[in-house]
Amino acid sequence: MAGALDAPPGAALRSQLRRSATTGRRRIAAGLDGAGHFYAMSLDTFRYTFSRPVQVREFIDQVWFIARVSTYPTVLVAIPFTVLVTFILNILLREIGAADLSGASAAFGTITQIGPMVTVLIVAGAGATAICADLGSRTIHDEIAALEVMGVDPVKRLVVPRVWASAFVAILLNGLVCTIGIVGGFVFSVLFQGVNPGAFTGNLTLLTGLSELVIAVVKAGLFGLLAGLVGCYRGITARGGPQGVGEAVNETVVYAFIGLFVVNVLVTAVGVKVTGG
Amino acid sequence: MAVIGYDRLVRGRQRLRALSTAADELGGQMKFFVDTVGHTPTALRHYRKDVLRLIAEIGMGTGALAVIGGTVVIVASLTLFTGGTIAIQGYSSLGDIGIESLTGFLAAFINVRVAAPVVAGIGLSATIGAGSTAQLGAMRIAEEIDALDSMGIRPLPYLVSTRLIAGTLVIIPMYSAAVIASFYSCRFVTVTVFGQSGGLYDHYFRTFLQPGDLLWSFLQAILMGAAVMLVHTYYGFTASGGPAGVGRAVGRAVRTSLIVVVCVTLLISLAVYGPTGNFHLSG
Repeated sequence: MAGALDAPPGAALRSQLRRSATTGRRRIAAGLDGAGHFYAMSLDTFRYTFSRPVQVREFIDQVWFIARVSTYPTVLVAIPFTVLVTFILNILLREIGAADLSGASAAFGTITQIGPMVTVLIVAGAGATAICADLGSRTIHDEIAALEVMGVDPVKRLVVPRVWASAFVAILLNGLVCTIGIVGGFVFSVLFQGVNPGAFTGNLTLLTGLSELVIAVVKAGLFGLLAGLVGCYRGITARGGPQGVGEAVNETVVYAFIGLFVVNVLVTAVGVKVTGG
Repeated sequence: MAVIGYDRLVRGRQRLRALSTAADELGGQMKFFVDTVGHTPTALRHYRKDVLRLIAEIGMGTGALAVIGGTVVIVASLTLFTGGTIAIQGYSSLGDIGIESLTGFLAAFINVRVAAPVVAGIGLSATIGAGSTAQLGAMRIAEEIDALDSMGIRPLPYLVSTRLIAGTLVIIPMYSAAVIASFYSCRFVTVTVFGQSGGLYDHYFRTFLQPGDLLWSFLQAILMGAAVMLVHTYYGFTASGGPAGVGRAVGRAVRTSLIVVVCVTLLISLAVYGPTGNFHLSG
């Protein structure tokens, strides 16, 4: 009691501030640590890509695995998304008396934005979470540590095929979404909103050319690559039982979404500049 | 001949059984949702303090997510980048046909009607939703939910309905932040980066920003919050199969809620704006 009275006023507050400053510093340091580890793992992944033996079998297995978990959601997300965007674009076009251009707008919207957007959602929400859940459960059962003990590099054996499989599947999914987008746009515009089918198909290539398609494919590949890296990183660094795996998957989704949205802005800006659009 | 017939019979029975399992699961899901919604008054009456605690926890995020600013900041940054993409693509596409001055209109229209609700819903599912699945799944695996049951505390109102209420309430400030972020990033990209005059942008933006649309998009966001919380708590509450099961449950919940978010947006847009779109360019 006497000690507390003798302490100078505000001492408790100051010590609390100091304590929170320390925890803050420790948290920032932990965050930077994580970023550094992620960077190192990404570099390793690219370095080991061409090292022998190439994990062809694991790559094919992973492509099948990721495609299996993400094809259904892709179709189910792409159809309503397409209808939504076609609906809104057609409202706009009809208002300015250019409903015949809905083919051009459907193709343009699908290739430049809907395709990559839906691919982002699926590779981050479905592909990366599945990779992370799989690797995370192996990590907390010490299977990754066992691999290391046996002299097998987990990055070389597990991460490299998964990351490239994720990129490969993302490119394929982008094609699927674009097909659904254009066919769905056709069905919705022609059957429900009374657009002339000949005008729709005739104008498909008015605004959208090879360069837009190439940008979309590059975008999808980058998304898949990044989502695969994030999923693998959080899976390998999962700690602490069921809650740990759950949190790792949760963080994978969040980081992958943020990363992919940033990449989308950057690649869109670069693409617009490159094509001179 | 008889062997082939038997084979077909077995396979047919297996297929039927798979069908009935799927129907069972659908029914179980439905019952879970109805029970959860039905228990919300109980949760509000008995567990008001837990609802408050969950609101704080959900709004700020836990663990590593709190370090990068909590749920609100994450969702706002997602719409920030979406707004930027819309401005870049819109400005250059509209510029192709010589009407880049209408970028402000595009920001007011696309952001409110499609981009902000969808992205906010996705952000909600990724942060709060996936977090709840992980938490509840870990509780289920550690048999904590069964322990609650045997202590005479009903787990559904205590764990699930409280989360439903908290998620539905938290989305309101979160969506406000998300919409503001998407507006400002569009304006920043168009005016500061591309160098359009600020007055021109603001004129078209203000002309075409309809308060009614904004209110409807809030309704979209709130319903989406409720739907996402229901999906995620369901997968967490019914998780099984050890630590790996929790991870799988989180992944499955995110996949399902992506579909739910897009469908809710579509259905409400069609219901609210109707086939004509309730939109007049002439003002």
